[in-house]
Amino acid sequence: MTLLAVEGLSVRYGQLTALRDASLMLDEGETLFVTGPNGAGKSTLMKAIAGVVRPAAGCIRLGGRDITGEAPETIARLGFSMVPEGRQVFGELTVDENLRLGAGMRGDRAGAARDLESVFESFPMLKERRDGAAGLLSGGQQQMLVIARALMTRPRLVAIDEPSLGLAPLVIDQVYELLLRLRAERRLTLLVVEQSSTRATMTGGRMMLLRSGRVVLEGDARELNASGAVERAYFGYSDAEEPA
Amino acid sequence: MTRAPSIMAKTVSTPLILIAILAAIAIAVDAFGSGPLARTVIEMLIRVVLVVGIWIFVGNSGIISFGHVGFMCLGAYAAAWLTIPPMLKQISLRGLPEFLLENQFPFWPSALAASLLPAVFALILGPVLMRLAGIAASIATFAMLAVINTVYSNWSTVTGGTSSVIGIPTVTDVWIALGMASGAIVIAWLYAISRSGLALRAARDEAIAAQASGVNIERERLIAFVLSAFVCGAAGVLYAHFLGIITPDAFFLTATFVALSMLVVGGINSLSGAVIGVVFISVIIQLLRWMERGVQVGETTVAIPSGAQEIAIGLVMIVILIFRPAGLLGNREIVWTSRREPRVARTQPAE
Repeated sequence: MTLLAVEGLSVRYGQLTALRDASLMLDEGETLFVTGPNGAGKSTLMKAIAGVVRPAAGCIRLGGRDITGEAPETIARLGFSMVPEGRQVFGELTVDENLRLGAGMRGDRAGAARDLESVFESFPMLKERRDGAAGLLSGGQQQMLVIARALMTRPRLVAIDEPSLGLAPLVIDQVYELLLRLRAERRLTLLVVEQSSTRATMTGGRMMLLRSGRVVLEGDARELNASGAVERAYFGYSDAEEPA
Repeated sequence: MTRAPSIMAKTVSTPLILIAILAAIAIAVDAFGSGPLARTVIEMLIRVVLVVGIWIFVGNSGIISFGHVGFMCLGAYAAAWLTIPPMLKQISLRGLPEFLLENQFPFWPSALAASLLPAVFALILGPVLMRLAGIAASIATFAMLAVINTVYSNWSTVTGGTSSVIGIPTVTDVWIALGMASGAIVIAWLYAISRSGLALRAARDEAIAAQASGVNIERERLIAFVLSAFVCGAAGVLYAHFLGIITPDAFFLTATFVALSMLVVGGINSLSGAVIGVVFISVIIQLLRWMERGVQVGETTVAIPSGAQEIAIGLVMIVILIFRPAGLLGNREIVWTSRREPRVARTQPAE
């Protein structure tokens, strides 16, 4: 079943068009990687779906409901949980408070407490640090925390913006291991923005490549990578001018 | 299955300790102090109510407000309307509605009603103001203060204009002030640990992440704004019943400056900071008052020029901002604990 459908989405920041006529479909349980170089419009796409920036044109449907132009908090409550770029933990709140905030907005306390326990089961490290300030966690731990916080909203879809940003390679591996485990355990639908297509290839799933605000390539991550199409699209070579 | 939320377990001692500090000061001055000193302590407790009221909004939302003294003004005048003897009102405040002109209400019901007026005002104005962010919101609150001051300075038949409103029963004593200050601290603490307080502080740290977690920032801001208007209104009520005389200019720039410097000096992000800031600056003000009156040094009396108070407060604020930018208390709350564990982080760790 199609969970997220984006059609003809365009976003402008003043004179600048950051995203042109982008479309995507995401089925329940599926994983979609959005990749592309700097300034391709990846984060803009994510923010537009989350309602943080207003699209200039296009239509966004979540579970069949039109959410175009809705407030971010409404979209979050409808099940689109965004993990923003740069690990925005609430640094001055404790780990526990960060997590309860994710659940607290749902207004069912017993369910929230159950979810908290289950999140602590998936993230034992967070349980150890639950009373410490979130700002004192390491970069990797903070990334885990924001993912855990996103799960606390009982999302239908988790969208993560550059989970590897500023992390050591070893830590990135840990983050992805965790994501894959969560995907298996909770049958999560994932939308992941990453600059490098390598992760998409390693993880498997569908991949979409943006460049200068346009979707230039879409398909199975492994197949695309094997055919060399990603490299060509990423660096903008057409077939004719491909370097020897 | 659910344990007590961590923050509650951690800081339940905070309001108790703060109230105990204020109570200790009040009791000591009541037992050993002179009349003028007792008045200083009452003034300090009224300022505690005001600054704690401001903190409810500013501390949790991160938006500096220059307008909250305006809520104090609304509360003070409402208290005057409700409690001045009808005979006096019929002479000086002829424009008041009939039921106010002909009745005089007792202190506590009047205090509640008078504090509710600014809260209702905040509820009406808030939805507009809360849409603004950062410095734009601060400027808008300042405009609100200017509007309140202008209206109250010119609406002569209802507010007496710039001349004083007199005849307010002077019922505020140390114990009433202490009780209200304690009440303000408890309200502020309950708000801070509430779901709304948590959501608002999260939005202060990272707005987008908070929205992505389902937080309606404008709504949470509005809740804090209305609640803080209520508490600041109560400060106005206390003030009116303390002096017995009020003028609009008592609730304008000077009062705003003093209240905000107390908040900044104590530390804007913690409730303990708000209270300790008031105590600290009040002590300095009292010392300066003594020095303005003159200190006997041997044969001669040395006095500093009057007006030095505000300059000195300004200097104190600069010094604090240089050496402790987060205020005396940093971002910490005073808690009763044997182990020292900073609940609050000031710095992001290295990657």
